[in-house]
Amino acid sequence: MLRVARCYSLARTKVAHNYSTIFRPEYALKCGLEIHTQLSTRNKLFSQSTNSSTPLVDVPNRHTSFYDIALPGTQPVLNLEAILFAMKLSLALNSQVNSVSQFDRKHYFYGDQPQGYQVTQHYRPFARGGKINLSKELDGIDESSKDISIVQLQIEQDTGKSHYTDADKDVITLVDLNRSNVPLIELVTNPDFNDIKQVRAFIKKYQNLVRHLHISSGDLETGAMRVDVNLSINGFARVELKNLPNTSSIINAIKYEYQRQVELISRGETSSLMEPETRGWTGSSTVKLRSKETTIDYRYMPDPELPYINLAPDVMSRVKESMPQLPDDMMRMLMKKPYQLSLKDAKILTYNSNQNDMYNHKVLRSYYLETFQEFFKLVGEQGSAKLPTNWIIHEFLGDLNKLHVPLIKAQEILPPIVFAEFLKLLHAETISPTSGKLLLFHILETFQRSNCRDRSIPDFPKLIREFELHAIDQVDSQELVSLCSDIIAQHTDDTFIRNLTSGKKRTSLKFLIGQGMRRSQGRIKASEFEKKFKEILDIQW
Amino acid sequence: MPLKRSLKQSLERLSSLQSRYNIFTSVSPSPYTLSNKEEISKELAGYAVSIKDNIVTKDLPTTCASHILENYKSPYDATVVKLLKQAGVHILGKTNLDEFGMGSGGIHSIRGPVINPLYPHEEKRIMGGSSSGAAASVACDLVDFALGTDTGGSVRLPACYGSVLGFKPSYGRLSRFGVIAYSQSLDTVGILSKKIDILRKVFLVLDKYDAKDPTSLNEELRGLIEKNKKIKKTWKIGIVKEFNHEGLPKQFHESYFTFLKKLVSLGHEIYPVSIPSVKNSLPIYYTLSPAEAASNLSRYDGIRYGYRDSKLDIKDGILFAPTRSKFGVEVKNRIILGNYNLCSDGFKNNFIKAERLRVDLVDEFDKIFRFPNVLTNAEENPKGLDVLLVPTSSKLPGTLKEFEEDESKSPANSYINDIFTVPMSLAGLPSLSMPLKERTPIGLQIVGQYGDDNTVLDFVESVS
Repeated sequence: MLRVARCYSLARTKVAHNYSTIFRPEYALKCGLEIHTQLSTRNKLFSQSTNSSTPLVDVPNRHTSFYDIALPGTQPVLNLEAILFAMKLSLALNSQVNSVSQFDRKHYFYGDQPQGYQVTQHYRPFARGGKINLSKELDGIDESSKDISIVQLQIEQDTGKSHYTDADKDVITLVDLNRSNVPLIELVTNPDFNDIKQVRAFIKKYQNLVRHLHISSGDLETGAMRVDVNLSINGFARVELKNLPNTSSIINAIKYEYQRQVELISRGETSSLMEPETRGWTGSSTVKLRSKETTIDYRYMPDPELPYINLAPDVMSRVKESMPQLPDDMMRMLMKKPYQLSLKDAKILTYNSNQNDMYNHKVLRSYYLETFQEFFKLVGEQGSAKLPTNWIIHEFLGDLNKLHVPLIKAQEILPPIVFAEFLKLLHAETISPTSGKLLLFHILETFQRSNCRDRSIPDFPKLIREFELHAIDQVDSQELVSLCSDIIAQHTDDTFIRNLTSGKKRTSLKFLIGQGMRRSQGRIKASEFEKKFKEILDIQW
Repeated sequence: MPLKRSLKQSLERLSSLQSRYNIFTSVSPSPYTLSNKEEISKELAGYAVSIKDNIVTKDLPTTCASHILENYKSPYDATVVKLLKQAGVHILGKTNLDEFGMGSGGIHSIRGPVINPLYPHEEKRIMGGSSSGAAASVACDLVDFALGTDTGGSVRLPACYGSVLGFKPSYGRLSRFGVIAYSQSLDTVGILSKKIDILRKVFLVLDKYDAKDPTSLNEELRGLIEKNKKIKKTWKIGIVKEFNHEGLPKQFHESYFTFLKKLVSLGHEIYPVSIPSVKNSLPIYYTLSPAEAASNLSRYDGIRYGYRDSKLDIKDGILFAPTRSKFGVEVKNRIILGNYNLCSDGFKNNFIKAERLRVDLVDEFDKIFRFPNVLTNAEENPKGLDVLLVPTSSKLPGTLKEFEEDESKSPANSYINDIFTVPMSLAGLPSLSMPLKERTPIGLQIVGQYGDDNTVLDFVESVS
């Protein structure tokens, strides 16, 4: 790494502070967010260097071109992919894209700022306006619906990174320029937030949106998404909170700062709240970084060599056509008829959780929707929407996770049309749910044992015969009586029977039925067992 | 054909000329000889050239005559250098200049001032800047041509003072990739030579679109210019009222009238013309160019390359102040002026206003030329002019002493030297300064409409 001798980081004092989080109506919170999002373009914003979004595994300063390190004579060449990504985000947020926008230089010196300025959009940003809607239904906020309006979106360069180290008493700064010139979108909201739940919901929603659009990893942990907060209480000056590396820091910093200002206001010590200031988060408290007097003048200047971004009239409409369905619309579609998914299940199909290696939400969603369609083609209107939902989202995914079989592989032996056949067996009660579970697991386990190489489509009738999984419609009465008696003898005593027959502990019947289901491997219906147990034990309730 | 002298002769003369006129910042260590036939058949085979030391080269250091870039060696060649190498030239060396191209005297260099070779036996006189070494290398016949850069007159003024041709093409025709930025909305690579045919040949080699330069004129507009091109035998020539000719030296007037008479006798038509915005040129120029300079020079912090203070990166809370204090005084003046122009309080009144006035100036130029401006889409004016004639300098080259004294009274004194050259820089127009008399430092600019470089070259060729 480049060594910048002599540390020039800001001194930070850590102040431990206990705080309770009581939001009081007489102290009205007003809050806005400023979100920087790294775009996952192939190359950097103004050079051909690789835009590497995995900073932790990379060698410092590997992804740097002559331009990125600001060698004399180098020039910026705009990466149009970044413009495309910005258009997608603007469309998703309903922002008004300016037909002409421009790049400006923001000047300040820093070791990880090789040009001595950052190229951003100050005078004519890429897009203005737009909003994100939060709702009780989808986002769990207290209000039934709340719009967070957006001021503007601007495209800009990221800076490099400084690492401060103590080496042999001499404090030095190491500079890594891999991040320098990575494209960012800065989004600024209006101060529309008045509750912390809204902030949390917005961040989650925005994060899901950029992932959904495939324009950013949206990860706070890696710095691909960075959130600054501005906040004011009862109309006092705005305080900006910085250095908030994850959602819990964001939430805790707001809580802390709210509490701090409430205390000052309630004590009448408001002199420090008259001028805007910038505060950092130490992990336990907010500390002043700079106030208005120490703010530097960025001396914004239109970049003299980068061309204006002039969008052709038909560009926006063409990008619009290529846009995927947006998450909220998709959620609402999935929660309505005919699917009627729960919020939780709809989320599984809509959002990229980045947490499961066995499937991604997009493959799963199309698998679900296709199977759903095929299933209803087979069974007509009589079918229950719950069947595909439960069997795909819960049973099938559960098996895949257990067996470590990726969905994309499992689809080879169980394409939607075959899974629909399987669901038809359950719908027609050809096999019981218990047998269905055994069958599905067996099929997937066999597939897994072949290292996912045996791609023959399962022959359901043959397997059902082989394992005798047919549901028994005509139960042999003698057999049933002896099975039930056997269970009673094995699992009960006098007290048990007394409590059951008297109705004092009715759940015991469920236990007995469960035993019966287990012994018959689910081939005899629960209702048959219930009838027979009641008969044998003479249960009147 | 290259000038009739061998490279060997050039190199032999070089060291004594260098010690007298301080032309080069570095010289190629080994003479280069053409060996195979392929090399000899190239467009510029055998031509010797010098490169201004603010254009990056892999083989020689690039210092901008600044302490800040002392011993800096670029890992890549500028596009114009690459094109010249491909065309078979031999680069003799890098030429001295006013630090980062800032100056009109050729005196603001850590390597000391360039001395005008037109006055070998008198008190030392200035070469004019900032492409001072470039002009001197041509004037001394050390090279067939030189590459310089012109931001507000930096090729044309020293060409005038050295009595050689100095051509600033239309902005964007020659790639700036690898040209160290002073003020890139104005910076233009220029060509200096004694021979118009050589100059034209070099222009043809360099006049190419470069995807690495975002301000390079694109292929579409180049095609449009080609389509608009007209071959003419006689031209409509304009003389601009607003350029005050009265203060010009007597010597200039004599040669100028002789020249005008010659033009009339050749059948050309001469018209007076008014461009009122010309009077705003210097304020516009000295608002915009220092602002861009202050911004462009922000990168010199010593961390990644160039000079770095051996002890401190920060002083009195100001980052990189110890390193950056090593800029020369003229560069510092312009950084301060530029930052002042960009301060949030004055930005609207200074920078934005200057940008607006610059557009007005371009509009006025568009109205008087016949050739349509492909950048502004201005309507063609069939009755318009083909070229303008504008003196290159209001003065003859003064002695070093006079120049330094003038400048120490007020830095603005040297800024006034740019009055005749700056308007064409602001409008990006092609402008060629040609000597009106042999071995005499009086020059006249032939100015064409944006993109009409061809007419300018045709004109000079026809009167040479």
